[in-house]
Amino acid sequence: MAASQKTRLDLALELVEYGRRAGADQIQVSVNENTEFSVDIREGRIEKLLEADARGLSVKTIVDQRVATASSSDLSPDTLRALIDNSIKRARYANQDPFAGLPEYQKETDYPDLKIFDPSVPEMKPDEKIKLAEETERICLADSRVAKSHGSGFSTLHGWSCLANSEGFSGSYSRTAVSCGVYLQTGSGDHLFDEGWYDTSCSLKNLWKPEQIAEKAVHRATRLIGAEKVTSCRVPVVFEPVMTAGLLGFLLSCVSGDNIYMKNSFLADCLGEKIADGRVTIIDDGRVPGAPGSRPFDREGVPTRETTVIEKGILKNFLLDTYSAKKLNSLSTGNASGANNFFLQAGDMDARDIIKSVDKGLLLTGTIGFGLVPTTGDISRGAFGLWIENGELSHPVAEITISGNLGDMLQNIEMIGDDLTFRRSVSGPTIKISEMTVGGK
Amino acid sequence: MNPDIKTFSNDGSFLLFDSHFGITEPDIKKILSAALSSGGDFAELFFEYRMVSSMHMEEDLLKESSEYISMGTGVRVLKGDQTGYAYTNEPVPDKIRQAARIAAAIAGGTGSVRTAGLSRILPPSQTYDIRLPMHELEFNGKYDLVQAANLSARKFDSCIEHVQVTLADEIRSVTIANSEGLFISDIRPQMRMAVRATARKNSRRNTGLCTGGGRVGLHYFKDVATPESIGEKAANEAVTLLSAADPPAGEWPVVLGCEHSGVMIHEAVGHPLEADANRKKMSIMWDKLGKQVAGSIVTIYDDPTLPHLRGSLNIDDEGTVPVRSVLIEKGKLVGFLQDRLSAKLMNMNPNGHGRRGSYQNIPIPRMANTILARGDADPDDIIRSVSKGFYAKSFQGGQVQDSGKFTFSVNLGFLIENGKLTQPVKNATLIGTNVQILNEVELIGNDMGFFLGTCGKDGQSAPVTAGTPTLKIRKMTVGGR
Repeated sequence: MAASQKTRLDLALELVEYGRRAGADQIQVSVNENTEFSVDIREGRIEKLLEADARGLSVKTIVDQRVATASSSDLSPDTLRALIDNSIKRARYANQDPFAGLPEYQKETDYPDLKIFDPSVPEMKPDEKIKLAEETERICLADSRVAKSHGSGFSTLHGWSCLANSEGFSGSYSRTAVSCGVYLQTGSGDHLFDEGWYDTSCSLKNLWKPEQIAEKAVHRATRLIGAEKVTSCRVPVVFEPVMTAGLLGFLLSCVSGDNIYMKNSFLADCLGEKIADGRVTIIDDGRVPGAPGSRPFDREGVPTRETTVIEKGILKNFLLDTYSAKKLNSLSTGNASGANNFFLQAGDMDARDIIKSVDKGLLLTGTIGFGLVPTTGDISRGAFGLWIENGELSHPVAEITISGNLGDMLQNIEMIGDDLTFRRSVSGPTIKISEMTVGGK
Repeated sequence: MNPDIKTFSNDGSFLLFDSHFGITEPDIKKILSAALSSGGDFAELFFEYRMVSSMHMEEDLLKESSEYISMGTGVRVLKGDQTGYAYTNEPVPDKIRQAARIAAAIAGGTGSVRTAGLSRILPPSQTYDIRLPMHELEFNGKYDLVQAANLSARKFDSCIEHVQVTLADEIRSVTIANSEGLFISDIRPQMRMAVRATARKNSRRNTGLCTGGGRVGLHYFKDVATPESIGEKAANEAVTLLSAADPPAGEWPVVLGCEHSGVMIHEAVGHPLEADANRKKMSIMWDKLGKQVAGSIVTIYDDPTLPHLRGSLNIDDEGTVPVRSVLIEKGKLVGFLQDRLSAKLMNMNPNGHGRRGSYQNIPIPRMANTILARGDADPDDIIRSVSKGFYAKSFQGGQVQDSGKFTFSVNLGFLIENGKLTQPVKNATLIGTNVQILNEVELIGNDMGFFLGTCGKDGQSAPVTAGTPTLKIRKMTVGGR
C-alpha cells in the first residue's frame, strides 16, 4: 500500500469514528484518488494534453433507520467534519425506512490477485503515450479510403479506492487502466460516416497494438461507405460482439435491484421463469483476473463474486446492493457499484457461419440514440450495418431503425458465437436474433 | 443548508471564490506567468466551487438526502490550436502552480507573452432568478415540495403503482482569470424536479416522466409549474402509455408537439453548428456558411441570455458575456456556436458558448438555450393537415454524429388519422440526416415549448434548454414494429 493510500484509509477510519461520536448509528466513508493522463492527436499533431490528480470522498450516515449521503472533493478537515455533521442532521429529517442499513461485515482476509494493477502504467513516459496515439492515427490516414480523422487518443489512469465503515470493514485496492483509440470519417459530400475503435485494458502489455486498433477502426469506417436505407421489413438480425454488449447493457438495467423492487423492469416478477432461449447463460463476475470490471469489493465493501443471472434461459438472480437485497428478501450480490464483468457466455459457432445462415437480414454494426425502456423491455434505435443476402454480406445500410422487445429477443436468440472477449466490463459474443423490425423507406 | 451564502447577487459573485480559494491576485498573476513560461500564447485559470443538494422520495418515503461538494482549479494553456490542461482539487497556490507548469509544457519553447494586470469585473446582467433561492429553503420546505408532487401523481389514477420524485438544487461558483487580464466570477443557481410514475393494468406496466426547473428559485413553483402539475403530467403519461400500441415502421409525415420537440433542433441543428467540428471540417455543415440549408420558414438561434432557463448564462466558462446567436436565418446558415479557441482560429467573434462540464474539462463550444423561432401556423391546423402520420409528444433524448445523422426517441406519441390524434403509440426512434430533414420542415406553429435537458459531448455534460413550436416534417423514418 502506498504511503498516501495508507493515510487516506486512516482518514476514512478517523471519519467513521468521528461520525459515530457525532451521533450516527452507522457510517461508511470511502476515499478515491486517481492520476490521469490523456493525449489527443489530430492530423499528426497534439491537439490536447491533459494531466491531473483527482480525489474525492463519500459518506453515508444512518441515524435511527434514516439515511443521508454526501460527497466532496474538498478534503479540508473543516469541510469534512461539517459534511458529516450536516449529513447526520439531514438523516434525522428523512423518513424511517426499515430496510436501511450498511452490509453486515463479512470477513474476507485474503483477496485474490485480480491483476487490475500494472506497475508499468504509472512508470510510462508521456512521450511513449504520444507516440502510440500518433502511430494509431498515422496508420489509419495512410488508407486512402479514410477521408478525415476526428483524432486518436491515448489515456492512462492509476489510482486507488479505500473504504471503511462502522461495521468493521476497512479495505483498499489499486487499479490501472490504459486506453487507445481512433475515430474516423469516411464518405464524401453529404454522405458521411463516422466510425472508429478503441481498446482498453488494465495492463499495458494486454492493450491492443496501434496496428490492431487502426485496422479495426478503418474496417469499421470504410465498410459503411455508400450505405443507403432499405425498405421496412422483418428479418433476422446478427449482432456483432460490441452490439451484443450494448444489448446486455440494457438487460443490465432490467435486472438491477432498484428497478426490480420499484417494478420499473419488465423482469420484476419473472424470477425462476424461463425468459430466454435455452442457449442463453448470462453471468456477472467481479473476479475475472485482468478484466476491466474486476474489483475485490463494491462501493459498500461487499466482496464481489460470480452471480449467474440467467442460466440456460432461466432467470436465476438479480444484481443487488444491500438495500435492494433487503427489499427483495435476499442478499447483496456485490453489485453496489453496478456491473462488474457482465457477459453472455460464448457459444460454439464461428461468427462467419452465423452470417452464412441468414438468407436475407441485417448484420448490426452500430447504433445511435436511446429508445430503451426497462419497464416494458421495448427497444427502438437508429442503426448501421451490412445487409446480408444468401449468407453473404451484400451492401452497407444506414439511416434505418431496429425495433423489438428485449423479452422477445432473449427468447429469439437462435445462435451464439464463440468470439467472447473481456475488453469491456459488459461483453458478449456474436448472436443471431431470429426476427426484428427494420424501419427504413 | 449552506450557511456561508445567505443571499447572492451580482456584487456577491466573488463571494464563494474568496471564501474557498483564498488566493490573491498577485499569486494568480504569477501562476499565469508560469503557465506561459514555455511559450504559450494564452493562459487561463478556472476556479470552481459547486454545492448540490438533493433528496429522493419513493414508496411515499423520503429515503435519502444528499449533499455534494466539488472544488477544483483547472489551468489551460493555448499555443495556436493546441491545448495543455491540468487541474487540481487542492486550493493551494503551490498545487495550482504545479498544474500550471504541467499545462505549460504543450508549448515546448520559451515564454514571450506577458500577463496583463488583473482587475475584478462582474457579469453585466443577471439572467438567473435569484429571488428566494432554493438553498435558503429549510429541509422541511423542500420535503413539502417533493411530497406535493408525489401525492399529485399518486392520486391521479388508481393505476399508479409507484412514484419516484427527485429534487436537486445547486449553487455553482465559477471564477475565470486569464493572461489578457480578465478576472470575472459568476454564481449560478440550478434547480430540477423530476417525477417518474409507473402505472399498472393487469400484467402491463408503463413509466411516465416529467421534469421541471431551471436557473430559478422557489418562485418557479408558483409562476411556471407547481410540483402538483409536474407529478400529474408524469402520471398522465404513464396512464396514457398503458393503452399505447407499437408504432408502424416506415416513412411518415411527422408532427412534433411543442412541449419537448426541441430535442430535434438540439440534435439536428445545434450540435452540427458547434464551431469546433466546423473549424476541423468534420461537421457536415462546415462548408455551408452563407448557404440556404433549410426552407425560408426556418430561423434558429441560441440565446443564453433568455432569463431563468436551464441553459441560461451570465457569462460562459471562459468569462465571455454571451449574446443571442442566430445560426439559421430564414433558412440560411449564418453562424456557429463559438468558444474562444474556435472563434480565433476561424477569425470570428466569440459568442459566449464556451462551456465545460467542470474544472476537470477544457471549455468547448456548446449550446445553452437553442430555439426554433415561432411560425404562424395554428397548431391544430398543423395536425389537421396530415391524413396519415405520426405525432410525437414526449421524448427520451437524442443523438447525432458529425455526418449529420441523428435520432431522437419518442416516449409517447399518437397516430394521426384524417387530421386527428387517435391511437397512442410508445417508444419510437426517428432517424434522419439533418441536411435532408431541415428541408422537409413544412409548417411551424405559433406556439412554443421548452425541453429541459442534459447534453453530453466529449464526456462532458451541460444543462441545456431546447425550444420549439409545434412543427411538421413532410417525411421522416419512424422506427416501429
